[in-house]
Amino acid sequence: MKIQGFLKDVGGAGRVTARRRSLFESASAAPEARDPIGELARALHPGKLELTVADVQDVSPTARKIRFTPKDGHLPVFQCGQYLSLDLQIGQTVTTRPYSICSAPYQARQAEPFVEITVRNGKSDGFAANYLYAGVKPGDVFTASLPFGQFYYEPLRDSRHIVGLAGGSGITPFYSMAQEIAAGRLDAELTVLYGSVTSADIILRAELEAVHSEKVHYVNVISGEKDYPGEKGFLTRELIARYAGPDSTFFVCGPLPMYKLVARELAALNVPPKRIRMEVFGAPKDVSRAEGYPAEKLGETYTITVVRGVQEDAVPARASEPVAAALERAGIPIPTRCRSGACGYCHSRLLSGEIFVPADGDGRRAADRELGFFHACSSYPLSDLKIKIPIL
Amino acid sequence: MSFYKEKYDAVVVGGALSGLACALTLASKGKDVLVLERHNLPGGIATSFVRGGMEMEATLHEMMSIGPEEKPLKIRAFFDEMGVKIHWLRVPEAYHLSVPSEKIEITLHAGFQTMAREIDAEYPGTYDKVLRLMELCQTVYDSVNVLSVHPMSKPAMLAKHAAFVKTCGYSAKQVLDTFGLPREVFDILSAYWIYVGAPMDDLPFTIYAVLMADYFGGGSYVCRDFSYEMAARMAVRCEELGVQIEYLQEVEKILVDGGHVRGVRTKRGDVIHADYVACSAYPNRCYTSMIEPLSAVPKDALRSVSARKLSVTCFSVAMLLDRSPDELGIREYSYFNSFTDMDTSRQWENLKTLGPYGYLTTICLNRANPGCTPPGMTSLSITTLPLPDGYLHIAEDEYLERKRAIAREMIDQMSVYFGVRLLDHIVEIEIETPVTIAHYAGAWNGGIYGYRHSMDDHIVARLQMSEEENYIPGLSFCGAHAISGNGMSPVITNGRKAAKTLLDQMAKEAANA
Repeated sequence: MKIQGFLKDVGGAGRVTARRRSLFESASAAPEARDPIGELARALHPGKLELTVADVQDVSPTARKIRFTPKDGHLPVFQCGQYLSLDLQIGQTVTTRPYSICSAPYQARQAEPFVEITVRNGKSDGFAANYLYAGVKPGDVFTASLPFGQFYYEPLRDSRHIVGLAGGSGITPFYSMAQEIAAGRLDAELTVLYGSVTSADIILRAELEAVHSEKVHYVNVISGEKDYPGEKGFLTRELIARYAGPDSTFFVCGPLPMYKLVARELAALNVPPKRIRMEVFGAPKDVSRAEGYPAEKLGETYTITVVRGVQEDAVPARASEPVAAALERAGIPIPTRCRSGACGYCHSRLLSGEIFVPADGDGRRAADRELGFFHACSSYPLSDLKIKIPIL
Repeated sequence: MSFYKEKYDAVVVGGALSGLACALTLASKGKDVLVLERHNLPGGIATSFVRGGMEMEATLHEMMSIGPEEKPLKIRAFFDEMGVKIHWLRVPEAYHLSVPSEKIEITLHAGFQTMAREIDAEYPGTYDKVLRLMELCQTVYDSVNVLSVHPMSKPAMLAKHAAFVKTCGYSAKQVLDTFGLPREVFDILSAYWIYVGAPMDDLPFTIYAVLMADYFGGGSYVCRDFSYEMAARMAVRCEELGVQIEYLQEVEKILVDGGHVRGVRTKRGDVIHADYVACSAYPNRCYTSMIEPLSAVPKDALRSVSARKLSVTCFSVAMLLDRSPDELGIREYSYFNSFTDMDTSRQWENLKTLGPYGYLTTICLNRANPGCTPPGMTSLSITTLPLPDGYLHIAEDEYLERKRAIAREMIDQMSVYFGVRLLDHIVEIEIETPVTIAHYAGAWNGGIYGYRHSMDDHIVARLQMSEEENYIPGLSFCGAHAISGNGMSPVITNGRKAAKTLLDQMAKEAANA
């Protein structure tokens, strides 16, 4: 065979090597050390941030809005509906909690940037919320990371008409959205249907009323007050149908039991799955009610052997609590963010033993399930376990 | 409290496919290995994610060098040898190419005769030429496989591997031009150019030949449980072989003392001792900020980084759609769409911009893996592989809007092609950009392909110079930036090579000691 003549053809290897070598020899010994795309990635996802509490404000008889400002002056871009993960040390327990950001994205990017969350007191699962509600004061410093989560308006997918179905402290992402729309920063329309038992339970009422406009509608739905002058009852299909447009996207955020109820109502209205976005925060209060849970195990306690590198520790664990919670109680930190089984930050490996993963909180990949990787925040021990977790 | 041993035989920086292949190789030779991965998962960009309870592929289009079970190619053979069992699924066709400006609309399948017949049916009289070209590709491919394991003298090479020797000084275009193919056929046979990230007139024919012979000879494959399956199974196998893998541990420094690697320091502050380190971070980062002290970096290492050009990064729109592929009219697994023409040099210039992009790759995963979505749905991804250039000056506050605008353009382009408004069917969507790659994998400027395959940085030259590029004793590189370049199969080869480099040094230094 011949390409351009025998001699030239057979000299190819020598030629390309000489060419490369001469380019190397004549190149600068001071290469470009900047990585602008990496820098943008780090600005958008800066990792752990130090946040100072700037203000604490009552936004209902039982809820407080906490404003944080960044110590280094920079907060990343986020989208309405995303959450921050707050590091907490309460007694011996080292833990994190996810909180939907209730301030608007533009407020994180203005001259004096801040983010806000709202915490509610007095709920039985509110170990951390109670601590924050009671204990936080201006000047306190926390470590947090943001932004996380997929509970945001995606214009390539969602209808411009958003119906927010909220319960309890699930109102907070909609306050973020409402403010961003009111500020002309988000091109969408929002109708919030907010279910509460009594009007005293309504969080952020004055704040939401203040952003009521052409594009932001806000309706309280009260189930436990006979004389309430507005919408009474629950977030039923009839009520939803009255406020929904012909092609709305439904964003649902509230306590765990609410999701199943609302899903049933939306299904009855023939809302296609692509128009329903559900936020989920938290493990079930009572795992024994999850489908498939072996009820006889509920009162049991087990020992979890925790492998971190070459280190092994043994901690006691209740069958009724997620593996991550047992570790945290024993003072062994484990990386967590969403605490709902979704984000996978607590990705760990089960070396031996048996766990229960509620179907609602099972965010594992197929290969994870097959190979014993699991999400410790949403998995419950059914026997003594040996697990390997990341070193923090 | 220390979580590490006193000392390891080797530390592998990065638990992606290349690092894991390196660790497997070292462990199979009895070495005590620690893998440190900055992310919370193995695999790097060989990964998947779960949205709305459904798993989505992040990156893999098709694996080369797998081959059928009864005739395994080198990557399947490596996994078999290492005891890593992967559920391989055969991709039904090689690709569908659409170039409206040349009226090209053709689907090619694996098998040299099959594809030559398919081309001949559209462009009669080309069968023999195409077959001859493919046979040349096969000959060169066979030589590369032999020579990469058994180097030999120049005269011996010329005697036994004449086709390889005689073509390696030329670009793919220069060699293809000697076959007298009609322009359309030349263009049809150029479709894979994007999978090596080089225009035809600068792509070494050697690389082209390997790509064509491998894909059209052995067919291409994906994993049943997404590309993450490979990563997860490799990681588990590593641990069975005694490798310690720690996630969420970013290596900030590689410690050098007395002209030799002595260990690493993590972001957490752990100092870990090892005389050998395989590094998945780009040499650009390694030589400019990771080596401690930086004065231990030889000038030649710095020059090599200056001389080499980064290849492409990735912009991909991954979607789950609420109709089946049949309902959407998406018939094939893999589409290459050229919306302008097949002048790959012009396409290359287009990749330096923020779009609209002229050359898109679309994968309908259901066509190879019907179980990848619930029934009645489609997993579709649209990808372009831009150069970093266009993304170097994006401000934080414009990032989201920019990425959505680019994604929207790509979705619209493919909607027109498929004749269905894809926007109406999106259940889940994730947009991966060069910034996403930089964030999750820590890759230098979001690079996924390492350095450009080009006539300036030829694979043959890389092999010839490989010894002299071990600038710091005890340090080797794995990843797409190593010798064999980009692609999930080549990076596995790179990982094995990095292990071999370290094993050779270990043996030599032990003998000298």
